[in-house]
Amino acid sequence: MGQLWIGLRRNRKAFIGLAIVLLILLVALAAPLLTEYNPAARTGRPHQPPSAEHILGTTRLGQDVWARLIYGAQTSLAVGFAAGLLITVVGTTLGIVAGYRGGKTDEVISFFTNMVLVVPNLPLLLVIASFVGQAGPMVIALILGLTSWAWGARVTRAETLSVKQRDFVKAAEMMGEPQWRIMAFEILPNVFSIVGINFIGSVIFAVITEATLEFLGLGDPNVISWGTMLYNAQKASALSVGAWWDILAPCLALALLGIGLSLLNFAVDEIANPRLRTGGRLARWTSLVKSGEGRL
Amino acid sequence: MSDALLSVSNLTIDYIGAETDFRAVDDVSFDVAPGEVFGLAGESGCGKSTIAFAVSRLHAPPALIRKGSQIRLAGRDVLRLNRKDLADFRWREVAMVFQSAMNSLNPVLRIEEQFYDVLRTHTGCTRNEARARTAEMLKLVDIKPERMRDYPHQFSGGMRQRIVIAICLALDPKLVVMDEPTTALDVVVQREILQRIDELRRQRGFSVLFITHDLGLMVQFCDRIGVMLSGKMVEQGPSEAIFRAPQHDYTKRLWASFPSLKGGVLG
Amino acid sequence: MPFLLRRILFYLAAFVAAATINFFLPRLMPGDPVALMFSSAASELPPESLEALKLTFGFVDGPLWKQYLTYLSSIFTGDLGVSVKYFPLPVTDLLGRALLWTVGLVGTATLVSFVLGSFLGMVAAWRRGSRLDVVLSVSAIFATSIPAVVTSLVALFVFGFTLGWFPTGYAHDPALDPSFSLAFFASVAHHAILPLITLCFVLTGGFTVTMRNNMINLLGQDYVVMARAKGLSDRRVMVWYAARNALLPTVSSLAIALGTVLGGSLVTEVVFNYPGLGNTLYQAILARDYPVIQGQLLVMTAAMLVSNFIVDVSYVLLDPRLKGSG
Ligand SMILES: Nc1ncnc2c1ncn2[C@@H]1O[C@H](COP(=O)(O)OP(=O)(O)O)[C@@H](O)[C@H]1O
Ligand SMILES: [Mg+2]
Repeated sequence: MGQLWIGLRRNRKAFIGLAIVLLILLVALAAPLLTEYNPAARTGRPHQPPSAEHILGTTRLGQDVWARLIYGAQTSLAVGFAAGLLITVVGTTLGIVAGYRGGKTDEVISFFTNMVLVVPNLPLLLVIASFVGQAGPMVIALILGLTSWAWGARVTRAETLSVKQRDFVKAAEMMGEPQWRIMAFEILPNVFSIVGINFIGSVIFAVITEATLEFLGLGDPNVISWGTMLYNAQKASALSVGAWWDILAPCLALALLGIGLSLLNFAVDEIANPRLRTGGRLARWTSLVKSGEGRL
Repeated sequence: MSDALLSVSNLTIDYIGAETDFRAVDDVSFDVAPGEVFGLAGESGCGKSTIAFAVSRLHAPPALIRKGSQIRLAGRDVLRLNRKDLADFRWREVAMVFQSAMNSLNPVLRIEEQFYDVLRTHTGCTRNEARARTAEMLKLVDIKPERMRDYPHQFSGGMRQRIVIAICLALDPKLVVMDEPTTALDVVVQREILQRIDELRRQRGFSVLFITHDLGLMVQFCDRIGVMLSGKMVEQGPSEAIFRAPQHDYTKRLWASFPSLKGGVLG
Repeated sequence: MPFLLRRILFYLAAFVAAATINFFLPRLMPGDPVALMFSSAASELPPESLEALKLTFGFVDGPLWKQYLTYLSSIFTGDLGVSVKYFPLPVTDLLGRALLWTVGLVGTATLVSFVLGSFLGMVAAWRRGSRLDVVLSVSAIFATSIPAVVTSLVALFVFGFTLGWFPTGYAHDPALDPSFSLAFFASVAHHAILPLITLCFVLTGGFTVTMRNNMINLLGQDYVVMARAKGLSDRRVMVWYAARNALLPTVSSLAIALGTVLGGSLVTEVVFNYPGLGNTLYQAILARDYPVIQGQLLVMTAAMLVSNFIVDVSYVLLDPRLKGSG
């Protein structure tokens, strides 16, 4: 953990990624301070282009796009992190149990994991969501959590298999520690970087998928989120009537959040897997070669 | 000095870190005469492989061969070779057997193909000429030539290492570097392979730079030995002398930690 | 071949699992499943068609297992019911027509981006740390982290509406009837370019990153170092020793990526109003046309399983260790 933190501080990708995510988080939390408008209320004429009054213009219903964007950020972030957490908890638990217990347990869990991996995720979500009706954000988070853990379970299991062979696990087994303690206190801390990658990856996935489901008309259109902004804008044919701000605002917000989270994810990956790292030592090496201090 | 085949002098190699460097090889000098077997001994991590890599210029960043280092082979300044000369120099002059027998052959190419790419690159020969040469080399190491159409996974570990040795000798190099060539193999196979290498060396006259941490093997197999301790060469000389009258404390301790040697090998 | 046979059995199980979800989902929801699924149908369909539809989905008198078997047997005889919105069009016809467009679009996009992405990943890994590597890696991160909805909408806005280079919807000029004429094919190609480029943009980055990471992990392998020691050209080492081996894990990750590919194509089709599965589905969702929504899961799963099987076969062809040996 300590190492992870030091690595994060030195890594430029991590720094930029974290800055982006924190910025969006801050804007979301401070939404009431950053706009005077009620995001749900009609506060102007329909489809007004950006102006001093409405800095990102208005929707077809005359709502303020900036207000919807920053209040919507709350929903997107909440769903992203809640679903990401759920996906990670389920995936990590199943992965560690399968990897550590082995035998029949492993066979059963792995079979289901592989099965979930070959049933295409979005079509499955569409069917479930369509039966749920107009799903609120937290229902979407729950559905995502219950259907999207397979990838995490698979990679955690693989990592557990290798950690299981190490001496300290063997030692704990000799001391007669109960299995759950070994899994929770010996294995889990040692697969932490995989869990981290899984978590950030799942948050990205959840944010994107929530937006997609809502865009496809499976969300509750009265909720204010980036996905429903897209849905309403698309339904209002915003692009063909030239109201680009209505659709580009949530687009850019989603892209920015996605990029921030991905940068973080790649940074964690690089820290966990030193071979992928290219940073400081290489720059130093290059300058040494250039100054004639040595060669290959 | 001038009659040495390989002459390494003041070789210093660092692994560059983000802030500090790690000196893996520190001012090492030694010579290997034509036809000689020179052994590099020392515990794991003391820099043996780092030297072996430097001889064929195989290092990649963050390794850095410091200025002032010199490696000469058959009169050529290895560290000054340009790209084209280096490609030509590799394998024709210095061939190499790597540590893990299981992993030195490309799993997705047929054995034949792994001979052919060396032969074509260096001699420009046709596929048929390459096949003839491959068959000849495989026979040298007791592997049926028909099996050149097989893939590496179809051979045992010992056979794979013999195939690697056959590939090494395909161009009749002057020096073969062997980095712990038998570590991954069991004892019987290990003997077999070393004996075969010894015979081949006598027939063909190449020199060997032999690296191992197994001192028993080393004393038996090498004409001269250099002993390394954390990057430095602390002692070198004929095997007999190093074994019977070690000068350096570390060498003495190294011998002491292998008590079985006294009776078994030279007795 | 036992390996492939095992996979086929597994895929069959996965398909049944998808069907099982379809079967239980309406029955797990609160309220009457029949009313839930056919609420709109009841008013629009003739009574005897509604009865047939109920039978197809296993709503028969009898215990649950009997209903389940009824449903499975209708699926395996290729009966997915009729569309409520486009009554009396059978779901299989509706989806089959759409599938053609989707397969064309997705197949091309996957192939192009896999080849391109793997190539870029190979080059980036081989020259890791160089400026080229940094540029490729960072662009790949950006491209993969932007949702397909966003990419599609922005592409449509910029190249369709603003610049006017490409049509803003549909798969061919509606004035042209489908035929084997040059004009028709030209129109199809012209309409496909923008969705294709968008999908490739979404997909290529992922393959680049996968290939780069796999390859970097392989560069330290003894056989790669030995290939360099052999004096082979850089190109030969990069392609035939490093990349050729790194391709194996990349191909197996392709199987997992196919889910994302299908998902991405659904969205892209909706945005570009492309008459594939995605768009059909979108219309079905808006109309709560449940037979179509359920049918698409089965069709998509089948498509996914077939593509997975193709990946399995190419894996076997690429890895000599799987050939011949049990
Ligand atoms: N790529 C590398 N980066 C940093 N340090 C390295 C690298 N490769 C080797 N080293 C360090 O250099 C030292 C010498 O390694 P090596 O030559 O492989 O030792 P030996 O072959 O004698 O066991 C070791 O301590 C090892 O940790
Ligand atoms: Mg070594």
